[in-house]
Amino acid sequence: MFNARRLILAHFWIAIAAFLGALILGEWQMIVRSPLHAWVDNPEHYYRSLTAHGSAMGYVFPTLIAMGFGYAISVSALKRNLLGLRWAWVALALVVVGALAAMITVGLGRASVLYTFYPPLVGHAFYYLGIVLVVVGSWVWVVLLSLNLRAWRKEHPGVKVPLAMFANVAGAYLWAWTAVGAALEILLQILPVAFGWKTTIDAGLARVLFSWTLHAIVYFWLMPAYIAYYTIVPRAIGGRLYSDTMARFSFALFLVFAMPIGVHHLFADPMVGSGIKVMHTIFTGMVAVPTFLTVFTICASVELAARMRGGRGIIGWLGALPWKNPAMLAVAFSFVMLGLGGAGGLINMSYQLDSTVHNTQWITGHFHLIFAGAIVIMYFVIAYDLWPQLTGRALQSLSLMRLQLWLWFLGMMILTLPWHLSGLLGMPRRMAYFDYTHVATSPYAWTVIVSVLGGAMVLISGVLFVAILAKGHRTERVGVEPYRFSVALHEHATAPRALNGFAVWIALMVALTLVNYGFPIWQLSRIESTSVPAIYVGGDQ
Amino acid sequence: MSRIGVWGVLATLALVLLGGFLGFVWLPQSQDPSLSPFAAWCSALGVPRTWLASASIRPEVPTSEVLLTHELLGVQDDSDRGHGATLALRCSMCHGPTGISYADSPNLAGQYAAVIYKQLHDYRSGARSSPIMTPMARTLSDLEMRQLSAYYAGLSKPAGSTLIGNAPAIIRWGAPMRNVAPCGSCHGDIDHTMASPWLKGEPQNYLRAQLMAFASGARTNDINGQMRAMVQGMTPAEIEAAARYYAGDAK
Amino acid sequence: MTDHASRSPDAEAIASQFELGWGVLVGVIIALLLGMIVFTAVHWSSMPPSRVEVVEASTLHRTGEFVQDNLGTAVDATGRIVVRMLAAQYAFRPSCVVVPEGVPVTFRATSSDVVHGFQILGTNVNSMVVPGYVSTFEMTLHGVGERAMPCHEFCGVGHASMWARVRVLPWSKFQALSRAKRRTSCV
Repeated sequence: MFNARRLILAHFWIAIAAFLGALILGEWQMIVRSPLHAWVDNPEHYYRSLTAHGSAMGYVFPTLIAMGFGYAISVSALKRNLLGLRWAWVALALVVVGALAAMITVGLGRASVLYTFYPPLVGHAFYYLGIVLVVVGSWVWVVLLSLNLRAWRKEHPGVKVPLAMFANVAGAYLWAWTAVGAALEILLQILPVAFGWKTTIDAGLARVLFSWTLHAIVYFWLMPAYIAYYTIVPRAIGGRLYSDTMARFSFALFLVFAMPIGVHHLFADPMVGSGIKVMHTIFTGMVAVPTFLTVFTICASVELAARMRGGRGIIGWLGALPWKNPAMLAVAFSFVMLGLGGAGGLINMSYQLDSTVHNTQWITGHFHLIFAGAIVIMYFVIAYDLWPQLTGRALQSLSLMRLQLWLWFLGMMILTLPWHLSGLLGMPRRMAYFDYTHVATSPYAWTVIVSVLGGAMVLISGVLFVAILAKGHRTERVGVEPYRFSVALHEHATAPRALNGFAVWIALMVALTLVNYGFPIWQLSRIESTSVPAIYVGGDQ
Repeated sequence: MSRIGVWGVLATLALVLLGGFLGFVWLPQSQDPSLSPFAAWCSALGVPRTWLASASIRPEVPTSEVLLTHELLGVQDDSDRGHGATLALRCSMCHGPTGISYADSPNLAGQYAAVIYKQLHDYRSGARSSPIMTPMARTLSDLEMRQLSAYYAGLSKPAGSTLIGNAPAIIRWGAPMRNVAPCGSCHGDIDHTMASPWLKGEPQNYLRAQLMAFASGARTNDINGQMRAMVQGMTPAEIEAAARYYAGDAK
Repeated sequence: MTDHASRSPDAEAIASQFELGWGVLVGVIIALLLGMIVFTAVHWSSMPPSRVEVVEASTLHRTGEFVQDNLGTAVDATGRIVVRMLAAQYAFRPSCVVVPEGVPVTFRATSSDVVHGFQILGTNVNSMVVPGYVSTFEMTLHGVGERAMPCHEFCGVGHASMWARVRVLPWSKFQALSRAKRRTSCV
C-alpha cells in the first residue's frame, strides 16, 4: 500500500469502532420498542440513541470506509505514493474530532434531533459543528484524490485512467457536490439558530436543502460497494470483468443522476410544486439505469468466471463457482438484497405507491435492507480483501468469514423483510413505544419480534467481523504481492475521452441541479412569513 | 467533446424537456382544466397561491392574544426584577411573599417568565377569566407584566425532584392511542416547550381544578386548544394521578 | 478463455451487442414504470396537489383559517367537504375527525410548531405537515368504521403518543351531524 498503509488502517479501525457502537445501539432500539420489553423509561433516551445510531451509521462509518478505501485505490491503481499524506492525516483528525463532538453532544442529551436534523427542532450547536467537521474532512479527501489523479495524468498523458480510480474519483466528486445541500442548511439556517443569532427558521427551505444531500449520500455510501463489484469480485473469483466501458459508463451516469433527484423524499411535502416533483421522478427513474447495467455486467462477469472454471449448461454453471470464497458468497448475498431493496426503491420512486408507505416502517426496512444489507456486506469484502495488504499478514479464518457473511445475510433478511411488512400494515416511524394491545397496532407485534431476532444475528455477525480483523493482526507475516484489480475481458489501451474524464458529467450534474433545485430554493428563501420560531431540544429554554 | 459526451448532453436535455412537459403542462392541466397555461405553470413550479382560505375568521371563543416567539419578553435585567418586586407586593396576599402560596393559588416562584406574562396578558384580554385575577390584571401595563414575570422567574422554585423514575404512566408515556402526550414531554421531566408552565410543587387542588376546566372547555386560553385536546383524552384517574404527582410533597 | 478469443473482434462485438440489448431492455422497463406513474396520475387524479400555500404559523390561533373554532369537518357553500386539522406538539386537533364515506373529502392541515405528518391507517391518506405551509389534498375514503391516524414524522420526545382517530360515517349519518353544527368532530 505504498506510504498509505497506516493511514488506511486507521480509517478502517475508527470506522469499525463507530460501526460496532452504533450496531449495539440499533439492537437496543429494536428490543426496547418491541413487545418483548416494557416501554422505555424515558422516551428521550430512545431518540438520543436513534440520533447517535443514525449519525454514526450515516455520517461517520461510511465516510471513513469511503475515505480509507479511496486512498487504497489511489495508491494501488495509480501505483504511486499518496501525495499529500500529511493532509490526509489532518482530514482524518477533522473527521474524528467532528464525530466525537457530535456523539458526545448527543450522548449528553443535548441534540436528540435525529440524523436528519428536522428543524424547527434545533439541538446544541456542537452537534452540527461536529457534522460540519466530518464533512470538511471528507472534502479534503476529495481534493487529495483529485490532486493525485492529476499528478498521475501529467506523468501518463493520454493513458486510460484505471477503472477503480475513475470510479473512485467520480464518487468523490459526487459526494463533494451533494454535501453542499446539507452544508447550506447547517451553515445558513441551523447554526445561526443554534448559536442564538437568529430565532426563526424556515422548515420548508431546510427540508429542500437537506433533500439535495439526502438521496445522493446513499450513492456516496454505495460507491465503495460498486467499485468492489467491478474491480475486486471478478479478480477474487478468478474471472474477468465483462466490460470496462460499461463500467465507466455506469459510474458516469451515477455522477450525473444521483444528486438532482432528492425531491422524491418530499413527495408528501407541501412546499414543493408538483411539476418539480414530476421532474425529480423522471430523473429518479434514470438513476436506476446504472444499477441495472451493473447487475448485468457483474452477473456476466460471474458467469464468465464459472465457465472459465469449466461450468456448463444454462444455469448449471452456478455450481462451478468458488462458493468457498467469501467474496463469491458476499456478492451473491449482496445481489439478492440489492434486487429486493432496489425493487423497494422503485416503489418509493412512484408518487402513488409512495403514498401508501411514506414515513412508515417500510422506509426504514428499505434502507436497512439496501444499505446495511447489500452495501455493508461489500464493505466486509473490501476489508477482508485489503487486510493482508494492510497488515502484511494472511487472513486465515476463511470458514469464520463465511459464517460471518451468512449470519449477516440471514440476519438482514430476517430483520428487514418483516420490517417492510409492518410498514405496509401502517406502522409509523420513529416511535419510542407502541401500545401493541390496541386493535390498530396489534398486527405489527409479531413482525417486530422477528426483526429483533434478525437484529441479534446481525449484531453477532458484526462482532465476528471485528474479531476476524483483529485476529488478522496477529497471524504470521507473509509476503504479499502488489494489490491487483480485476482485468477486463476485452482490454483496451485507451478509453473514449468522455469516459476518461469527468468534465462533461460534472457539468451535467450542476446544470441539472440548477434546473431541478434552482427555483424551489430561490423561491423558498424569498418568503419571510414561513420562518417559524425554533424549538430548542435538550436544555432549559 | 467526444461522441458519448454529446449524446449524454442531448439525452439529458431531452429528459428535461420531457419532464417539463409532463410536470408543468400536461399533468397540471389534466388535474385542473380551468387553469390557464401560465397559472398551471406557476402552480406546478410551486409559486404560492391561496385557495379555500376564505375570509379571515376571528375565533368565537376568547383565545390568547399572545404571540409565542423567542422575542416575547425582550431583554430583562435587574431593574426589571426590582420593579417587579415592588409590584408583587399586592400579589403576595394570595401568592405568598416568596411566591409560594399558602392557599390553593398557584405558586409563582421560579415559574418561567413567559408563562407568567402570558397568563397575565390573557387575564387582561379576557382569554382567561377569574373574578380575582381579571380586575388585578387590568390595572397592569405591558411593561409591568414583563417586570412581574422577571421578578417571579428569578425566585427559587418550590422543592420537588425531576426524576422520572417514580412518575405515573401519564407523565412518562401519556396515553398514545387517545392522543394524550406524556405530561413530561412539555412540562419538564422529559423536555420543555415554550410557555408550558413548570408544574412541580403546585397545589394539588389548583392543578386538578385547571385540568377539569380544560376538560369542560371552561378554560380556553391554551394556544390552539392544546391542553383541551390533551385533557379531553385523559381519564379521571389519570387527571388525579397527574395532579398528585406534580403537587408532590406540597399539599 | 484464451487470449485468442478475447482478441477476436467478433467476440467483443457479440459482447457489446448483448450489452446494448440489455440497455434497451432497461430503458423499456424504466419507460414503462414512468408511464404507469403518469397514467395513474392522469387517469385517477392521483398526483401531488399542485398548489403551494403559505400561512403564518405563529398567529394561527388568533386569526385565519385554522383558528380553534374553524377546525374539524365543514361543508362549504358549494357542497365541498373540507376537513381542517392542526398539528402541534403533541396532538392533532380535532383529535377525532369525522368524514363521510365514499365522497371526496378535501383535507387541509398545517402545523403551529414543528414538522409533523399523518397517515390514516388502511387508506392512502399520507401527508407531511410543515409549519408555515398548508398541506392540502383530496381523498375519498371507503369503509365505515374508525381508523387510527398516527403522526408519522418525528416531532419531538412526545411523538410516540400522537395518535388521532378518524371516524368514517355513512353519508346519511354524516349529513345529520353536519346540519346540527357548523364544524363537526367526534372528540
